[in-house]
Amino acid sequence: MRAVRIAGVAVAAAVLAAAGCSSGGGSGTGGGAAEPAEPLSVWQFYGDESMPTGKPLYDLVARYEQQSGTDVDIRFIPYDDFNRTLTQAAAAGDGPDIALISAFDTAAMADAGVIQDLSPQVQAWGQQGAYFPTGWESTQADGKTYGIPHLADAYAVYYNTAMVQKAPTTWAEMESTAAALSGQGRAGLAVSGIEGAEGATGLAIRMLAAGVQPTQIDSPGGHAALESFRRMVASGALSEGFLTWNEEDAKNQFATGQAAMMINSATYVNILREENPDLQWSVAVLPSEATGQTMLSAENLTIGATSDDVDRAWDLITFMQRPEELQVYLPERNKLPARNDVPGTAEDPVRAVFAQQLQQAWAPDAALAPHTTELLTALQAALQQAISGTPVPDAARSAQATIDEALGTS
Amino acid sequence: MTAVLDRTRTPAPAHRPRRRAGNRTDQLFLLPAVAFVAVTVVYPLIYSVVQAFQDVGLREVIRGGADWVGFANFADQFGRAEFWQALWLSLVYTVGTVVLTYAGGLALALLFVRRFAGRNVMRALLMLAWILPTVVGANVWRWLLDGSYGLLNAVLRGLGLIDGDLFWLGQPGPAMVSVIAATAWSFAPFAMILLVAGLQGVPTMLYEAARIDGAGAWQQFRHVTLPALRPVSVTVMLLIFIFAFKTFDTIYLMTRGGPGGATLTLPLYAFQEAFEFRRYDTAAVATTVMLLVPLVLSIFYFRSLRREETA
Repeated sequence: MRAVRIAGVAVAAAVLAAAGCSSGGGSGTGGGAAEPAEPLSVWQFYGDESMPTGKPLYDLVARYEQQSGTDVDIRFIPYDDFNRTLTQAAAAGDGPDIALISAFDTAAMADAGVIQDLSPQVQAWGQQGAYFPTGWESTQADGKTYGIPHLADAYAVYYNTAMVQKAPTTWAEMESTAAALSGQGRAGLAVSGIEGAEGATGLAIRMLAAGVQPTQIDSPGGHAALESFRRMVASGALSEGFLTWNEEDAKNQFATGQAAMMINSATYVNILREENPDLQWSVAVLPSEATGQTMLSAENLTIGATSDDVDRAWDLITFMQRPEELQVYLPERNKLPARNDVPGTAEDPVRAVFAQQLQQAWAPDAALAPHTTELLTALQAALQQAISGTPVPDAARSAQATIDEALGTS
Repeated sequence: MTAVLDRTRTPAPAHRPRRRAGNRTDQLFLLPAVAFVAVTVVYPLIYSVVQAFQDVGLREVIRGGADWVGFANFADQFGRAEFWQALWLSLVYTVGTVVLTYAGGLALALLFVRRFAGRNVMRALLMLAWILPTVVGANVWRWLLDGSYGLLNAVLRGLGLIDGDLFWLGQPGPAMVSVIAATAWSFAPFAMILLVAGLQGVPTMLYEAARIDGAGAWQQFRHVTLPALRPVSVTVMLLIFIFAFKTFDTIYLMTRGGPGGATLTLPLYAFQEAFEFRRYDTAAVATTVMLLVPLVLSIFYFRSLRREETA
C-alpha cells in the first residue's frame, strides 16, 4: 500500500509540475503586451532548408520574418506522410496555422474540417481576379474559398536539340519522331508510368489530347490513348521500362541522353541547367489533337481549422502572394505563378513555354478532386495492362468500372 | 512436537505479507512498460478493429461521430475482387518468401555450422543483408533488376540467356518473384542463425549411429538432420510467415504494389485504402484480416508445440 501511495504522490507531483510549467508558459505567452507571441507554424512538403526544393520557401518566409518581425516555424513533412500527419494533428486539435496542401486535396480537407473558410478575408483582399481560373477553382468548396493558390506547374515536352530539330506538334508526329529517334539503347520519349497516380499523368494528357476527360477511359478517345502508348512501346519509341519510372527517373533518362524527349513538369528546368550544363535542350508545348491540354499541378495555401492566429497567418499568406516576392521565389523553385500579374515569367523562354502551356491546364472539379488519386491509379493500371498484352477494350473496361465505383456513377 | 509445529507455523504469516508487498513493488516497476504497450499497441489495435465496424472517412476521423455499421464493411470488402486478390497475393508472397528463406537459411546454416577458414568473416558479411535498412536493400535490388543497366540483365546477356532488356519489375510474374527474392535475401541470415543453433544441438552420436548403419550424406540429412531440426524449423517458418505477411516496405519501395496491382499485397492494399483513397473503414477491415491470419496460425503452432511437449 505504501508503494502505491508513493507512486500516487509521484504521479500527482509530476502532474502538478507539468501543470505548473504549462501555466508558466501560458502566462508568458498570453500575458502582457510586451511578451512575444507564439511563432506562426507553417507545414509543407517541399523539403527542408538544405534541399533545392525547400530552400526557396525558407528564404521567402525569412524575408517576411525580417519585414514583419514575426517568428515563423516551418515544419517539413515528406509528401507521403503529409496528409496523414495533418489530419491526425487536426483530429487532436493541434494543427498548424498554415498548411501548404495539394490543390486537389483542398476540397476534401475543407469537407473534413481540417482547414477553415477564408471567404471573408478573400473578399476584403479583392485579388482573386488575378488568378488563373483553373487554379482558383481548386480552392473552392461549397461556394466558399478555403485557400489561395500558391503556385502552379504544368507538363510540357522537353527535347534534346542535338537530336530533335523541331518538337512534334501532333501525337502522330510524336509517335513517328520518337520511333525514328529510338535505337542503340536510346528511346525517343521518356515519361513516368510507375504504379499509382504519378504514372498516369502521361496517359491522362494523351486522353485530353484525344478529346476525352480522364474519367472516360472506356471511350474511343480512351482506347486511342492506350493504343498510342502500346504502339510507342512496340516500336521502341518508349521503353517498356517506363512502367517503373517515376518523374525523376524520366528526367534521368533525358539528362543522360537515353531519351531524346520527355514529358515532364517545370520542376526539372533548373535541375537540368545546373546538373547537366552541357546538355542541349529546349521545351515545347504538348502535341495537340482535339486539344493540347496539360495536367495542372499546384498547391494551395490554407489556414488550419485549429489556428488561433488567423490574422497573422493571413498576413503571411498575402505576403507570399505578392507579385514582387513571387518574381524572386518562383524561378528559384522551378515553378510558375498561379496569378497573371507576376513580372519576369515571359523573359525566360523556357518558363514562357510552361506559362503558355498552363493556359490550357486541366484540373479535376470539386466533385472529382477528392477521388483524383483513385482515378489516376485506375488509369495507370489500364496502361500497365494494355502494355502487358491485355486487349485495350478489356483494360479500359476494367479501369472504367473502378473509376465509376469510386465516383459513385456505376 | 506440537511446540515445534507451532514454531514452524508462526513465522509463516509474518513472511507472507512481506512477500506480497515485495511482489507488488516489483509489479509497480512493470507499470511503465505495461502502460507503454497499452498506449502504443493495445489501444491502436482495438481502435483499428473498432473502425472496421464503423463508417469512417476523412470527415469522421477529424470530426468524430462515425456511424456503427456492424459487419457492412466486411461484407463490402468480402464482395470485392480487389480484396481477395490482395489476400491471395499476400499468401503467394508469404509462402514464396517462407519457402525461399527457409531453403536459403538452411543451406547457409549447413555451410556455416562447419568450421573453415574465414567462416566468421563470411557469416558477418551475410548478416549485412539482415542488418541493412530496408530502404537500402530494396534500392539495391531495384538497381540490380533494372531493365536497362541492371547487373542481373548484364549477366544474363553475357551468358546469352536473354537478348535485349528484361524489365523484371515491369511485368506481373517477374515482379512478384523479384519482391519474394529480395525479401528472402534479407530474412535468410536470420533463419540461418536460428538453424545453426538448432544444428549445433543435434547430438553427434545420432550421426555416428547413422553412419554405422551405412547411411550416406543425403540419408543422414533426411533421417537425422531434418527430424532433429523440426521444432526450430517450425519456429523459423512461423516467424518468417508473420514477418512476410505484414511486410510493406520492401514491396512498396520496389514496385509500389505494381505493375498493375500484381504485387499489391494486403498491407499495401490497406495503405492504399487508408492513405491514398482515405477509406479508413475498409482499410481497417484489411488490417483486421491481417491480424487474424497469423493469429490463427500461431494458435495452431502453440497447440502443436504443447502436444509435442506432453507426448
